[in-house]
Amino acid sequence: MVTLENVSKFIISDLSLHIPKGECVGIIGASGAGKTTLLKIICGLLKPKSGYVRVLGKDPVTEKGRYKRDLSVFLVGKSALDGYDTVKQSFELMQSIYGLPKDSFWREYEELAGRLDFQKYENKSLKSLSLGQRMRVELAAVLIGNPKLILLDEPNVGLDENGKAILWEMLEEKCRQGATVLVASHNLTEIANVCTRLVLLEKGHLLYYGTERNLRSKYASIDVMELKLLGALPDLEDLPLKEYSILGDVLRISYDSNYLSSAEILRLILAQTQVAEVNINKPDLSDIILQIKGGKSSEFD
Amino acid sequence: MNLAPYMAYFKKSFLNRSAYRFDHIMSIFSNCLRMFIFWEIYKALYGGRQEIDGVTMSMVTTNFVLSMGLDAVFYINDYFLPDKIGNGSITTELLRPMSFKGRMIAENMGNAVFNLLFRFAPAFVVACLLIGILPPASPLMLVLFVVSAVLGYGVLWTISFAVQMTAFWLLNVWSMTTIKNVFVNVLSGTMIPLWFMPDWMEGVLKFTPFSSIYFTPIQIYLGQLEPGEIAIKCAIQLLWIGVIYVVGDILWKCGQKKLVVQGG
Repeated sequence: MVTLENVSKFIISDLSLHIPKGECVGIIGASGAGKTTLLKIICGLLKPKSGYVRVLGKDPVTEKGRYKRDLSVFLVGKSALDGYDTVKQSFELMQSIYGLPKDSFWREYEELAGRLDFQKYENKSLKSLSLGQRMRVELAAVLIGNPKLILLDEPNVGLDENGKAILWEMLEEKCRQGATVLVASHNLTEIANVCTRLVLLEKGHLLYYGTERNLRSKYASIDVMELKLLGALPDLEDLPLKEYSILGDVLRISYDSNYLSSAEILRLILAQTQVAEVNINKPDLSDIILQIKGGKSSEFD
Repeated sequence: MNLAPYMAYFKKSFLNRSAYRFDHIMSIFSNCLRMFIFWEIYKALYGGRQEIDGVTMSMVTTNFVLSMGLDAVFYINDYFLPDKIGNGSITTELLRPMSFKGRMIAENMGNAVFNLLFRFAPAFVVACLLIGILPPASPLMLVLFVVSAVLGYGVLWTISFAVQMTAFWLLNVWSMTTIKNVFVNVLSGTMIPLWFMPDWMEGVLKFTPFSSIYFTPIQIYLGQLEPGEIAIKCAIQLLWIGVIYVVGDILWKCGQKKLVVQGG
């Protein structure tokens, strides 16, 4: 679906990755890391200085015209809709521009307007809407139709919690329907919950590309389990634990999740004693990323 | 080619114009006012004489009523592309599965048709009743006037198109647009009929597109051109449309290249 080989442009340096069809990919990085540049290269708005790019099997700069109908892009601050149009007029134009069948288009519009809750202001001009209201409309405009590739740059800016939840839910649905989604965002937790793969950028360099599970197992496999015991202290000698400590009736265990599962530990403990409460703490994604950046930055400096 | 999106933009710009009723009424009033001011100026200049250098007051009146009427119809937003480059929305425009130039034409045509029906027509009727203009030389000349006026619009549109393309390199195109407007207003015969231009100026104007915009259709309307001359003048209009469009299109392609190389 999307292939980049040794691509360099502005801050992006020698970046290679392949994104298969149907994946939901989160692009993570600090401001200026190259997230928007990467999205613009993929949609053909920027020509790489060097390297090879193919999107839907075509060169995004020279052959963009051939797949514009399959591409849907949201770039923060660069609205695709005219502020003087009403919400409904904007969608009427979209239906004409993309040549989508009227019946299915308006059925999907009704569904999106219902879920994103913008029917009540569909006859108002876009410029009269609040940022959050307008974002709901903009996102509906990106998701409507059947785009094969959806690129979103900071799609949750201005959205309330409910709006964000609906957005991620709809992106998951689009992926399930076969669309490939690329989302650039600062919000790690949301991205990690939804995206099947993560692209971690640091000053234009690719620090990591893969699943969150692999990221954790590679860089932060130590989980911490806390158990509130009701009975005697269990014998843990047979388990390859990293460390354990006891504070009152709370047993705290650190273990490498690559070698030992939480189920195995619990099975052994519950066979010996009673437990009132269990908490398993995985390392915070932002801490893992900071750890990777710390380790890798020296390679690039 | 799917014409539906272009028709949608045509309809949109037509309806948008009709939404601003006060602006619309005031523009009819201002058109009438301009015509009366010019009429009074030329009446004073003629000082009661029937003709000057073979140009009658009726010819002058017909020239400014028709050219001002066409000017009202030919309104083109010179800041359409510059605004999109300025606010960055050109990027999203380029991702749409339709021709941006086609969209520009569609929106301008929507404006032109609206102006023809609701700005030109009322002002023209008022001018005919109160000032009076010459009738067309013949029904055929009226038809050829319409054909030439459409080509004149094409010349003006391509000039505006080429000037707008400079926005890819200039931060502010106001100066370019102003220069273009001065040339169009003075050299197209809207303000001063080209009959009154000195011979050397007429010689120079032959090599510019400006007289093709308003003056050629008006000459046809007044029956001042022989059939062979009409064919040549219309061919010149087509030639200018082609030449300026090619220049504008080269700038458009270079501008797009600049965008994808340097970002925007």
